[in-house]
Parts: sequence; C-alpha cells; structure tokens
Amino acid sequence: MDFDIQTWVSVAAFMGGGLSMGLGAMGAAIGEGYTAAKANAVMLRNPEMGGDIFKTMLVGQAIAESASIFALVVAIILLFTHFESGSLLTISALLGAGLSMGFSAIGSGVGSGFPSAEACEGIARQPETIRNVTNVMLIGQAVTQTPATLGLLISCILIFKEFPATDSVVSAAALLGSGLCMGLGAIGPGIGEGLASSGGVKWVARNQTYTANITRLMLIGMAVAESTAIYSLVVALLLIFVV
Amino acid sequence: MDELGKVHQLIIPLLGHDMTFNLDVILMTWVVIAVLIVFGFFASRKKSLLPGPLQVLGELFVSQLYDLTEDAMDKERAEKYGPMICALFMFLLLSNWIGMFPHLHEPTKDLNTPLSLGIMGFVIAHYAGIKTKGFKKYAKEYCEPVFFMMPLNVIGELAKIVSISFRLFGNIMGGSIIILVVSYLTYSVIFPPFLNAFFGLFVGAIQAFVFTMLTVVYISVQVK
Repeated sequence: MDFDIQTWVSVAAFMGGGLSMGLGAMGAAIGEGYTAAKANAVMLRNPEMGGDIFKTMLVGQAIAESASIFALVVAIILLFTHFESGSLLTISALLGAGLSMGFSAIGSGVGSGFPSAEACEGIARQPETIRNVTNVMLIGQAVTQTPATLGLLISCILIFKEFPATDSVVSAAALLGSGLCMGLGAIGPGIGEGLASSGGVKWVARNQTYTANITRLMLIGMAVAESTAIYSLVVALLLIFVV
Repeated sequence: MDELGKVHQLIIPLLGHDMTFNLDVILMTWVVIAVLIVFGFFASRKKSLLPGPLQVLGELFVSQLYDLTEDAMDKERAEKYGPMICALFMFLLLSNWIGMFPHLHEPTKDLNTPLSLGIMGFVIAHYAGIKTKGFKKYAKEYCEPVFFMMPLNVIGELAKIVSISFRLFGNIMGGSIIILVVSYLTYSVIFPPFLNAFFGLFVGAIQAFVFTMLTVVYISVQVK
C-alpha cells in the first residue's frame, strides 16, 4: 500500500465531495418535510385556499433546498476538478472544503423550513395577508441561508486558493480546522435564524399593518443570531490566512 | 461533461498584472442588456390608454416593483430608488432565464456578476444611510453595543455582500450543473425540459426576486 501524494489528493477530493453532499442533504430534507407537514395540516383548516397553500409550500421548499444545492455544487467541483499540484496542504484543504459546506448546509436547511411552514399556516388563517406573508417569508428564508453561503465561501477559498508546497502538518491541521470551524459554527445560527424568521412570518400573518416594523425587528434579531456564524467565519479566515 | 468548469478567458498583461476577461460572461451580459433595451424601446414606443401586450408587461414590472419599494421605504425614496430596483430585477430575471436557450449561458453563473451587483447594492445602501443619518450617527451604529465590537460589526456588514451574491451564484450554478449532469446521464431524453422549467424558470425567478428584495431591505434598514 504505497501511495504517492497525487493519489492522496484524489482520495481527499472524493472524500470531501462525499462528505459535502452526504451531510448537506440532511438539513434541507428535514426543513422541507416540516413545511410539507404544516401545509397538510392547515389544508384542512381552509380548503378553499388549497391552491395558494400548495404554491407557497412549493416556493418555500424550493428556497429551503438552496443549502443542499450549494453542497451539490461543492461536491461536483471536488469530484470533477483535476488538482495538479498536490501537497499535504491540498489534501487537508479539500477535506476541509467538504466538511465546511456539508455541516453548514445542515442548519440553514432545517431553519429555512420553519418560516415557510408558518407562511402556509398564516395564509390559511388570513388569506388576504398572502402578499406580505410571502414577501416576509422570502426575505426570512434568504437571510436564513447566510450561514450556508458563508460555508460555501470558505469551501471555495479552500478549493481554489493555491497553497505553498510544504509538508507542514501544523498548516494542514489549520486548514482542516478552518473547514470544521465554519461548518460546525454554521449549524446553530441557521436553525436560530429560521426560528427568528418563522416568528416574523407568523405575526405578519396575524397583523399585517405592522409588516415593516416586524420585518425590521426580525432582520435585526437575525443579524444578532447570525453573529456567532460571523465569529466562526473570522476564525476560519484567520486559520486559512494567518496561521 | 467536459464543459464543466471550462471558462473562455482573455488575459491581457497590463503593468505587470494580468487582466482577465471572461468572454462568455461579458458577451451574455451584453445580450441581456440588448434584449432589455429593445424590450424597453418597444414597450414605450406607442404608449396609449389601451395598452399593447408589451406595454402591459412593462407596466406590470414597473408598478409591482415600485409598490414593493414604496412598502419598504417611503414615497420620496421610492421615486429615487424604484427605477434602479426595477432595472435590477429585470436584468437578473433575464440573466437567470437566458440559460434555457441553447448555446446561451446565464451571466449569473459566474461569481463576478452577482458579486458586482451585490457590492453595488451595498454601496448604494450605505451611501443612502450616510446621507440620511449623517456620518457621525452612521459610524456610531458600528460601535454598538460596546466599542470593541466594531470589527465584528464591520465583518457582519461585509458578510451581507457574501451572502447575497453567493446565494444567487450557488443556486444558478447548482441548477446548471444539475441540468448538465442529468442530461448527460440520461442522454438528454425526457428530463431536460422539466429540469429547465424548475431550475431555470422557477428557481431563477425566485432568486432574482430574492436578490431584489434583499437589496430593497438593505437600503430601507440603512435609511430608517
């Protein structure tokens, strides 16, 4: 079993691709299922709005799927790109890229399911709020995906940055650590932002006169919930560029 | 499958640096701009009380997006930023849809396009914020809740550019990769039209709308 470094680079790329898509598929599926369950439940409450509930459910699920689509992009890039110059750093960077994207897609995927579930319920309760509810749901879900996009950023940096051809184990560990840091750090903020935006959508559906106020408070709350993802981003960037 | 990740580039050395132009993206961006200009010309050429089909479409875009802007900001600002929001949405929508036609690619598939549009929105939002609140009050917001949180607040603001542009890029890129891979696996039988309808029409329209909405929201958060 004597492998040269190039083989190990391919091994790392394939493992990273598998980790990225395998982990990335988890969250979005849970979120989408939650939305679908709520849509089914509220369909009975207001059967006349069935068509609108169905449409809202589909739009919400399509957006919730973004996190998994990011993971797919990273996985396909890792599988089909030929990495020519290989060193120990490349190996750990590719593994780190898969871990970063895979884990960070979990939180945002789960979180994006909450606002669309509340939107379905809100439309069933008060059909005339549909326009405001849909807008707030779209904003909320989009901002909920921020941790996943930060994970995508770190993955792209790890894949496409050219690293010096040293065999320093410490630098390699730093790259792997940056992927883990961003990935794990993005799970909580994703779910938390989803909770914040589901609250926003829920109460816009009850009283749409105050849509602007609720949206602003929701966005500020989400920004604070997101700050822990920002800490992870800072540490991940420090690990890549400084350590 | 060989098309994956292939980019036509024009590299011009200038003052010791290489200037890289992604020719496909520039060409496709100009195609989108040309189609929009032609559409605008014909939509507004014969304006009448009984509108033609193109005028109806144009009025629909303008009135809907103008209302959206007015809901988020006030009337005065909506008059100022409404046209930009409208142009942004129409550009993104056509950019995301153009990949459905053979031999054409989405300009938004390349990170440069979403990133530059995201930076544009960011600069406009902060310009509007400084203009309404004055620089002192604007700068003070970064030092909340305590002074030493400033670097993290700044990074939090910059992360908005990352999130808005990577979201669009990731979705459009992911859609086109899925279409390419599935078409390759199934020898382009049956599946491609449905995939194009979902990832091109549906996801493309939603992501264009989300990008526009977030730009509006970022501006409105800054001016309030």
